[in-house]
Amino acid sequence: MAEKFLEVKNLRIEYRTEAETVYAVNGMGFDLEKGQTIGLVGETGAGKSTTALGILGLVPDPPGVVVDGEIFFEGEDLLKKSEKELREIRGGKISMIFQDPMTALNPVMTVGAQIMEVVQLHEKGLSKQEYRKKAEEMLELVGIPAGRAWEYPHQFSGGMKQRVVIAIALANNPALLIADEPTTALDVTIQAQILELINNLKEKLNTSVIMITHDLGVVAEVCDKVSIVYAGQVVESGTVVDVYDHMMHPYTQGLFDSIPDISTDGKELKAIAGQIADPANLPVGCNFSPRCPHATEECMKSEPQLREVAPGHMVRCFNCTKL
Amino acid sequence: MAKKETKQEKVKKMNDPTKKVRFRFLREIIHRYCKNRLAVAGFIILILFALAAIFADYVAPYWYDDQDISRRLMNPCWEFPCGTDQFGRCVLSRLIYGSRISIEVGFVAVGISLLAGGILGMISAYYNKLDNIIMRIMDLFQAIPNTLLAITIAATLGSGMMNLMIAVGISNVPRYARVVRAEVLRVKESEFIEAATSIGASSWRIMIRHILPNSLSPIIVQVTLGIAGAIISASALSFLGFGLSAPIPEWGAMLSDGRQFIRTQWYLCVFPGLCIMILVYALNIMGDGLRDALDPRLKK
Amino acid sequence: MDTLLEIKDLKKYFPTPKGLLHAVDGISFQVERGETLGIVGESGCGKSTLGRVCLHLLDSTGGQIIFEGKDVTQVSKHELHELRRDMQMIFQDPYSSLNPRMNVSSIIGEPLLIHKMCSSKEEFAKRVKETMDVVGLAPRTAYLYPHELDGGRRQRIGIARAIIMDPKLIVCDEPVSALDVSIQAQILNLLQELQRERKLTYMFVTHNLSVVKHISNNIAVLYLGTMAEKASSQDLFANPLHPYTKALLSAIPIAKAGAKRERIILKGEITSPINVEDRCRFAPRCLYATELCASQNPVLEEVMPNHFVACHHVREINNLK
Repeated sequence: MAEKFLEVKNLRIEYRTEAETVYAVNGMGFDLEKGQTIGLVGETGAGKSTTALGILGLVPDPPGVVVDGEIFFEGEDLLKKSEKELREIRGGKISMIFQDPMTALNPVMTVGAQIMEVVQLHEKGLSKQEYRKKAEEMLELVGIPAGRAWEYPHQFSGGMKQRVVIAIALANNPALLIADEPTTALDVTIQAQILELINNLKEKLNTSVIMITHDLGVVAEVCDKVSIVYAGQVVESGTVVDVYDHMMHPYTQGLFDSIPDISTDGKELKAIAGQIADPANLPVGCNFSPRCPHATEECMKSEPQLREVAPGHMVRCFNCTKL
Repeated sequence: MAKKETKQEKVKKMNDPTKKVRFRFLREIIHRYCKNRLAVAGFIILILFALAAIFADYVAPYWYDDQDISRRLMNPCWEFPCGTDQFGRCVLSRLIYGSRISIEVGFVAVGISLLAGGILGMISAYYNKLDNIIMRIMDLFQAIPNTLLAITIAATLGSGMMNLMIAVGISNVPRYARVVRAEVLRVKESEFIEAATSIGASSWRIMIRHILPNSLSPIIVQVTLGIAGAIISASALSFLGFGLSAPIPEWGAMLSDGRQFIRTQWYLCVFPGLCIMILVYALNIMGDGLRDALDPRLKK
Repeated sequence: MDTLLEIKDLKKYFPTPKGLLHAVDGISFQVERGETLGIVGESGCGKSTLGRVCLHLLDSTGGQIIFEGKDVTQVSKHELHELRRDMQMIFQDPYSSLNPRMNVSSIIGEPLLIHKMCSSKEEFAKRVKETMDVVGLAPRTAYLYPHELDGGRRQRIGIARAIIMDPKLIVCDEPVSALDVSIQAQILNLLQELQRERKLTYMFVTHNLSVVKHISNNIAVLYLGTMAEKASSQDLFANPLHPYTKALLSAIPIAKAGAKRERIILKGEITSPINVEDRCRFAPRCLYATELCASQNPVLEEVMPNHFVACHHVREINNLK
């Protein structure tokens, strides 16, 4: 079998404080091939963002501790790398887009200078002119006229800022782009623009993308594969068609039933009962069992493992085939 | 062992969030404060000084103005642990009585600044038209160095305990006005204030029930740190001769008096200086501890 | 029909250093008793301001707000206090809309104290407990503080506070946008259940189009302080007539595999609401804009029965008569 481009195996990350231990990521695993896009979908506290920080080696320590797991990126385990090596990789081969474009940019530097800075860090020995040209090219790539390169972030609107953030993230032609809720802070019409941009750039640059989001609609737009995350674990994963059309896990079903659908006239939403699992106080057995309408005694006692129900379609549930 | 468990149970019962416990908020704050050992130490030091001040008549070996030329300028010994000054007065006793003055000056002066500053700050935050006028006047005051301002006021008012407190108090008014104004403005913008308006709460109710409790913590911290500052200011004024007149044992004045003997009788300067330093340090770490304990974000 | 709230040519301008900000600029509509009017728009379209002006939390600059036959902009302070009982609000952020220093029971019961609606402590406790029950808050949470609860439960507190006085109108300002999807569905169901049981009237302000379709009878689409289109919720989604509404609806990502639709991608972003000129607000981004659009602001007209659109070219664009 060919070597996977990115493979996260059994990743466990905890936040330990005096008062409690928060089990943010509990055996997260997924893989990704070159040029593919995977969506990590889950609610608050599901451990999506912590996983992303784990891949970049940016889990704040203390209180965060990477307890276990392996992250193979192009065949090498990122967790075994030194801080210096990781710094080379960050912003170079792997880069990240954050949720809030308003705070991700430095307000006292022109956007062009901010792009140049990233390029200079990873690509040394060019002349100043060349760096400038590169910065302007990057902005044009994301649809901002080069003439605006030497303006300050406050002169840009929200959507434009997010374009700048994307330009910075792509400046060194990364192999992997992690996008953490890149459109959540934006309006729908602007979101549509940004999603289109990401789709185009993906094709043009052959970048692999990890798309972290809570919006199943966004995933359907841009992803090839999807992993549904609950309480720090993948509960269901597969291609978008697998998961969206043949969903097996009760949580996935619950999520889809919770969204009001604009194409049909649903009367009452089928909400998932109860509260989102508290990562500091996880239930015994299956993490979803307290909210699951189909939970049996077995679910309350032991933890289910991911099972392959169809080629490439994994589900973490004892009863999924019976349902 | 068994005793410890019952204590834990008691704590657990007290902290059980589902029971109605009076002042649970306050108890949690105290609990958080007590976790910070340095802050607790500061609190204990303050209590010790306060006890010394209250029971000075019993604790101090001599009356603060017990003069006896025959024992003047004695080095620290068993009878006079901190030595004696040029009039033969026991320095330790004077320091103990002096803590009364310092603590009183500290609290009263801050009380004056807080009262005046608080009212001005509230008015500024509430009435946009007055805001500019009041704040520009405050700026004017702040443009003058604090000590200089206090000296000016003290010189105008003349010496005396009350005048000293007023001088220190007034010179700090702008600082409190600013803190209170900023806090009230911040809380005023919160959505829950709008929510209170939407259910029909009166301005008075909003001010007392919603704004005040939510703006208290930074003000409390400012007060604790301010007391330390006021004690230093008062001592500085006395040191410069604008404060209390002899024979009242003010630490700053004692430091000033001891200055002329510093080459031979080091202890006349060192002990009052140490007292000021320790009390101010204790108040400062208390202020830091309070800031952490009052910040609900640090809860988890 | 029985009109509960009628807004006529409502205006709200804010003075800014750069000039007047037209947050709400001549909006008119009616809300019938027991129905839900959805107000949709993107950030900066004035939808939140509109909700607040309707409740008189902000003074209006011009126009009328008629609630049960009374003009809210003209009432005395005392009458306004009485009116507050009947008009309530549910806020967007369940974190900042609750006083962190008050426990759940006193937050929910505060309106009772303010309007002196309880004669005894027992009655107060009983009313609060009943209301907590209605919104699905366990009695054991009564003495907790807001920060000890999660977003969904906090939003239930906000709802309890709004319904405890049995109001007639509730303005919901993005009540679910800060919540996770699974919790969002619970809250939406709760709001619908309350509406059925108590004949509540909602003004539901949101940017989330699928939520607004789910909950509303009628929907008004706002753009830069003006109303672009208003219709029943089925009509609007089945047959959007205004070019902005069309683009807005096509931009919603749908949670279906392979659901890539024909999409209208709008150029540019919302323009500044400061010192607007007399022209169609949407013209700079509109595919069909002509000189007429740049010189004159279109008025809202009834293009089809109960379907109002403010666009000069609505008939050409949609091939209507």
